[in-house]
Amino acid sequence: MQEQFEAFCEQTRSLGELVRTESDTIAGRARLLLRMEDVYAVRQIILTGSGDSFFAALAVAPALRAWTGLPVNAMVSMEASRYVDNGRPPRSGRTRGLLVIAISSSGEVARLIEAVQRLRRFGALTVAVTGDNDSRLGQSAERILNIAIPSAGSGPGGRSYVASLLGALHLGIRIAEMLMCMTMEQADRLRRDLVLLNEPLTRMAAQCVEPVAEFVRSWDSVFAVDCIGSGPALASAHFAAAKLVEAAGLHAAAQDVEEFHHLNYFVDDPQRVPAIIFAPSQALSRTRTQELARILPPLGRPYLVITDSADFAPPGHSLMLREVDEFFAPLLHAVPATLLAAHAALRRGSVHFRGLTGPWRGAQDAALVRGSSIESGS
Amino acid sequence: MLKTFTLETDRNGLYDITPLAEAALDESGARAGLVLVSVPHSTAAITVVSPWDPLGLEDVQDELSRLIPTRVDFKHQYDTPQDAAGHIKASIVGHSRMFYLEDGKLGLGHSQKIFFWEFDGPRKRTVHVKVLTQ
Repeated sequence: MQEQFEAFCEQTRSLGELVRTESDTIAGRARLLLRMEDVYAVRQIILTGSGDSFFAALAVAPALRAWTGLPVNAMVSMEASRYVDNGRPPRSGRTRGLLVIAISSSGEVARLIEAVQRLRRFGALTVAVTGDNDSRLGQSAERILNIAIPSAGSGPGGRSYVASLLGALHLGIRIAEMLMCMTMEQADRLRRDLVLLNEPLTRMAAQCVEPVAEFVRSWDSVFAVDCIGSGPALASAHFAAAKLVEAAGLHAAAQDVEEFHHLNYFVDDPQRVPAIIFAPSQALSRTRTQELARILPPLGRPYLVITDSADFAPPGHSLMLREVDEFFAPLLHAVPATLLAAHAALRRGSVHFRGLTGPWRGAQDAALVRGSSIESGS
Repeated sequence: MLKTFTLETDRNGLYDITPLAEAALDESGARAGLVLVSVPHSTAAITVVSPWDPLGLEDVQDELSRLIPTRVDFKHQYDTPQDAAGHIKASIVGHSRMFYLEDGKLGLGHSQKIFFWEFDGPRKRTVHVKVLTQ
């Protein structure tokens, strides 16, 4: 158990160095990946993936939308694979101009492979963001943005998540630059800002440990957790919830800040359902998140606001990060999200992925996600 | 004497930099020789145009853009379509101009001014003025 905990913590400590060494490399690979004619023919963009890769898609879609002005949507791989072509013939007029960015570190997720194969046949330009060019995903897409990173032992997937974020963000910056929606200087400044995240990431890995530990210590008889955010931070909420499920076996759910007020507010036994809120101060959802933070104390819910501003919650309920561009905040959020899962698993005595034994042995070798049958749709 | 000026462009097009050349000349105190106006950029140029009718300046900008439109099918794909077109325009127009200096005055006619020509703006740019005395 302690070994697992140390592995999780070590992974958070490695993220700053990962960004420092790999960001510009990935940016360089993105530069000539698409031709001008490709990009100027794009009319809409789908970012897709499964699990952490879908969360990376979710995190980057708002940025790509803001930078390019194009319709950009993040889709889970099931929707992208079976609910976009809908049996229509390939290359029909209304589907021209579709760019599909499919994210998977392993490149072996069956549903995503299916999505890329079907959408490519449908007439879309398909780009695989993957760590393995020779994977089935790499071989199915027309273009590959390689995001392979140095291995750092076993862990909760934080490194591949950060690599996926970097890949999708650099692709987005390059597309916006090519479309001249931003100047070359603005694009280079964003690239530089991404590299500079290495410093706060490294510092946070140490600074977040004790506040997170203290928060988790207050989790008496917790049976579920809400992770909340909007825009790019909704992806952070999803990532945090996923790590709590995977590592601690807790029932954790992600929810949008607005939607919380419609749904999760009404959860029974609120003292046993902590809320973790991702709240960048520059977020467009800022004011609604402030309203959310005010309604939690009367409910009696344990809560922690992960933010860069004291405007959301009192010191005892805030975990302070460095202020960054809202679109880059999910990179920083990976650290507290991973530490929360590490501490929760340690407190509960849980083994990551339940050790892939007993009822969960069917997930060994990722069989559940790699072995699903691929439907051609025709 | 080499004098360097910074120029922040907010658009593509022509910027009158004759005052910069004249300022460098005044500072040098030179009375005769040559003045070289030059830019260290590959998507900007130096040219001489009549300044009197602003619409005439627009004609110059429009005609060069008509001859070398910003297209998506340039072989140079590294930056942007405007950058690729800018390289071609800058190569044709030229990165410097030389003027004679006589009696402390630049060799410019009544209907001539020196212009910085931006092809990939908005950008922070540099202009060099070198005064070579006789």
